[in-house]
Amino acid sequence: MATREAGKKMIMLKSPDGMEFEVEEAVAMESQTIRKMIEDDCADTAILIPNINSKILSRVIEYCNKHVPTTGATGAAASDTVAPAALAEDLKIWDAEFIKVNRATRFDLIQAASYLNIKGLLDLTSQTTIDTISDNSLEEIRSFLSTKNDYLPEEEQTIRRENQWAFQ
Amino acid sequence: MTPRPSLRRRPSSPASAPPLDDDDLLSEILLRLPPQPSSLPRASAVCKRWRGLVSDPGFLSRFRIHHRRHPPLLGCFVKTSDELYFEPTLEPPNHVPRARFSLQKLPRDSFLLLGCRHGLVLTFDWRKLQILVWDLANGLQQSIAFPPGFHMVETLIHLQGAVLRAAADGQHFQVCLVGLERGSQQNYARVIACVYSSETGSWGNLVSTAFPSVPYLHVDPTIVFMAKPGVLVGDFLYWALTGNFVRIIEFDLKRQSLAVIGIPVDMDSWRDYEYSVMRADDGGLGFLFLSDFSAQLWKRKTDCDGAAPWVLGRTIELVHGVFMIQLDPLQSNNVVFLSTVLGVSPLYYPFESIYTAGMGIAGGHDGAKLLHNA
Repeated sequence: MATREAGKKMIMLKSPDGMEFEVEEAVAMESQTIRKMIEDDCADTAILIPNINSKILSRVIEYCNKHVPTTGATGAAASDTVAPAALAEDLKIWDAEFIKVNRATRFDLIQAASYLNIKGLLDLTSQTTIDTISDNSLEEIRSFLSTKNDYLPEEEQTIRRENQWAFQ
Repeated sequence: MTPRPSLRRRPSSPASAPPLDDDDLLSEILLRLPPQPSSLPRASAVCKRWRGLVSDPGFLSRFRIHHRRHPPLLGCFVKTSDELYFEPTLEPPNHVPRARFSLQKLPRDSFLLLGCRHGLVLTFDWRKLQILVWDLANGLQQSIAFPPGFHMVETLIHLQGAVLRAAADGQHFQVCLVGLERGSQQNYARVIACVYSSETGSWGNLVSTAFPSVPYLHVDPTIVFMAKPGVLVGDFLYWALTGNFVRIIEFDLKRQSLAVIGIPVDMDSWRDYEYSVMRADDGGLGFLFLSDFSAQLWKRKTDCDGAAPWVLGRTIELVHGVFMIQLDPLQSNNVVFLSTVLGVSPLYYPFESIYTAGMGIAGGHDGAKLLHNA
């Protein structure tokens, strides 16, 4: 396993389009999927991340880099000097900037977060998707998410009647 | 909530299957719909596939757990001398109709509403000595036998209770019963309490503490009631006594211990004053006291010596009527009802819940089963 600085283990992540990313083990282990691979000892040299192209993988790594806990040997100084509340606020602002991407990229990020099992990223991407539609009408939701209304008019009426109050 | 994908599950390539076509991912997204009651009924009207996903019992359970820390305040139960009903307070489309929370199946003449919290309603049938916990999120009712130590009907003068969910999970709940017990010397003798855990399905040990000895049969009798709903503050439950010996009963859920604590103001009789215990805006115990038309908020400060003096916080000016007072905008459900109309005001039980029963009915398989207590 490669090492860059003393005490910091490095991991090589490979995307299917042939790009390689060298990241700190702690950063890679933000992904529970990768963490399990490392803990099960099946990550000797490089880990191939299937189905996640280099563009998305680099964004995911950027997210993990920002979100890796600053506690412990590597970042003790940072957590000592910055109040947790300020740190959380900083992360929130950073997240809001990070997720300013187009819909296709956001959906790719959802898929990547789900496969790599990165809870924070899955929360962020899914929540952003929901936030964009939650104030919209049913027609707008369908059109925004390219979802086809497959109800017959009378079926839709029946469903609305079951909880009529929710459509007022 | 941990996301479910594992190493075994390989998502198909992004190009061929966008996340909205993958049921697991779409569920993951829909889980983040706002906890407002209209969210799921509306989502189920989008298309058949969405309806299938959001009415799935597993999804509904995850939805409730995901939002358990921020359930919306749907309204309140109002208890008058002869009526108990739900009063919705949310604006449309989240105005859940009163009939959805009808407690009509309960025997009108013999039950008491002891409290509601975390989506659960706790009632007590004093004829059958039966405790009932009603999960209004899914319509489930659970009947619990009365705890052994509370069987002394003649000596038990007043009973109160609280229901709450264990903090760590959304499944299990606890019921805490407290009672004021009469002694042999025509006095109030002690306070007793007992906690039921749905996880173990049993009651814990009876705990008790001495009550200050005040005679209750006298020329000018001392009257003590436990009429006011309990308040949860951290790991403590509090009930304000009413009558002409106003004190606060404190139950420590962690240590399972009881205490009787004083109030910050002088009160001769509850008849002349309106007051309430509540969670203060600093997260500690608060005592709201209405003096004329101004509500004083007292806070109990616990210092390192264990002494806990009351400190007067702010005062709120009111006019004639019933008020829903909300102290901390960040804890929007920390509300207390206060009436400046003395003597006739009903009791208000704020009710917050992730309401998914409508989905259970729509989906037809939410596992809702009503236990008939006829």
